[in-house]
Amino acid sequence: MSKDADAALVERIENCLRQPVYFRDILDALRDRPYRAVLRAWSEIRMQHALERDDFGRYSLPKR
Amino acid sequence: MTDNRRNEDFRDMLARMERDGHLRRVAKTISPRHITALCGKASSALLCEAVDDYDIPVVGGLYWTRARTASALGWPEGELGARFAACVTRPIAPELVNDAPCQEVVITGDDVDLTMLPIPFMHEKDGGPYISAGVAFANDAQLGPNAGCYRLMFRTRQEMGIDLFTASDLRRYYSAAYGRNAPLPVAIAIGVHVFEHMAAAYKAPAGWNEMDIAGGLHGAPVHLVRGKTVDVAVPARAEIVLEGELLPTGWTADEGPFGEFAGMQGDLKKNPLFRVTAITHRRNPIFYALQMPWENDWLNGPATEAACARVLGLAGIQVAAVRATEGGCCGWSVVASIKKRAGEGRNAIAALLSLPVVKQVIVTDDDINIYDSNEVEWAVTFRCQADKDIVVLSGMKGKHVDPSVRPWDLKPGELPTTAKFGIDATIPEGIPAFRYERIVPAFRDEVRLEDYL
Repeated sequence: MSKDADAALVERIENCLRQPVYFRDILDALRDRPYRAVLRAWSEIRMQHALERDDFGRYSLPKR
Repeated sequence: MTDNRRNEDFRDMLARMERDGHLRRVAKTISPRHITALCGKASSALLCEAVDDYDIPVVGGLYWTRARTASALGWPEGELGARFAACVTRPIAPELVNDAPCQEVVITGDDVDLTMLPIPFMHEKDGGPYISAGVAFANDAQLGPNAGCYRLMFRTRQEMGIDLFTASDLRRYYSAAYGRNAPLPVAIAIGVHVFEHMAAAYKAPAGWNEMDIAGGLHGAPVHLVRGKTVDVAVPARAEIVLEGELLPTGWTADEGPFGEFAGMQGDLKKNPLFRVTAITHRRNPIFYALQMPWENDWLNGPATEAACARVLGLAGIQVAAVRATEGGCCGWSVVASIKKRAGEGRNAIAALLSLPVVKQVIVTDDDINIYDSNEVEWAVTFRCQADKDIVVLSGMKGKHVDPSVRPWDLKPGELPTTAKFGIDATIPEGIPAFRYERIVPAFRDEVRLEDYL
């Protein structure tokens, strides 16, 4: 985990990604957090996971 | 024509647009989530001075209309194509300098963090926040320096996806490096003067240096500076520069969707990765968020109008005016007025439709003000017989971005074809001009509006 990323926020994004979501849905779900903090957490997510994308461009966590 | 703007940079251009009433400042704090929506609702370009959680202001909507584009360029609205054409014929080579405003602050190594930039989230179905105003600079040992416009999607603190899906010079440079399994050094300039941005967007003939064209537009050499971590030269007076490498990973990283230049949401693509090795910027930089689609389209509008005037000239037709319309994304739809001789309405249509991107054309006589849509519609209504004056050409080169060519039905590598049409709205041969005599208010010159209202 990079020093700037918020572990709780990363976990909230991971929970969002348990079903296919647009990036907009993630921003919408995290309206209570600053935009920059969301981007830092998103950076962490993308470094930790090879996210899946469906034909519509929605993101989800890789299936195990 | 450019004497007073020889040394102008991005923020000088913003100052002129503000003086012209085409740029307004927003003092209230805004989230990067909302900048695109706000710009879309505003009647001028916006400089958002307070961006939530960032100390970098964001400007957007600069080239959203012909009027704003003309203000940015400092050219009359009706002369965009003619001025562009004249300047392109007088390229001026750039000059390399050692000290540059864009390197007043230099961030390298682990300190590089793209989240320091207020990269906005722009459209509902975009794959992430996007840098939409990036001008990419690269070198090739054989082909020389190149500048072009490419979108970049935020992925991590130090990586972005870059759209190299369609044919371009940078794609060619990258393909060569990828073939050697080597990274390609690239620098992305954000917040450059419209002359540099427009030159980079211009489909210059092979072997031309886009910054020579930018010099021609400025009327003076563009000052370039070498990057701090890559051997690539960028405009010295850019607001922000991202230096880095296109990694030799090929077209493997998910990128998109993004709201594209044709006004439609694009597809998810596989594209290369850009790893950032340095962020350099001015003290107190301004982040430019180019708003799709019109800002992107207007960067090409003057070049399209110049190309139209050129092909009409080659066809021996006297051109009065050419207008690339916004609804046609400043390229796909064109209205031209000509000093017609017999048959030249159709000749003009044939010439204009030969341009790769132009898909529909209206040709009028030179008594029609083609910047007034009502006048153009009047000419089409009363000077055109649909069974005689509409020219349809089928089987011409099309573009994948146009859903009406059903690109999803094409085999891999297959190029689309398209039908094109033109409307000859010139006075038909054999009908005397007096049949179109326009009504004129009596004693028009004796009446002054300000004497009554």
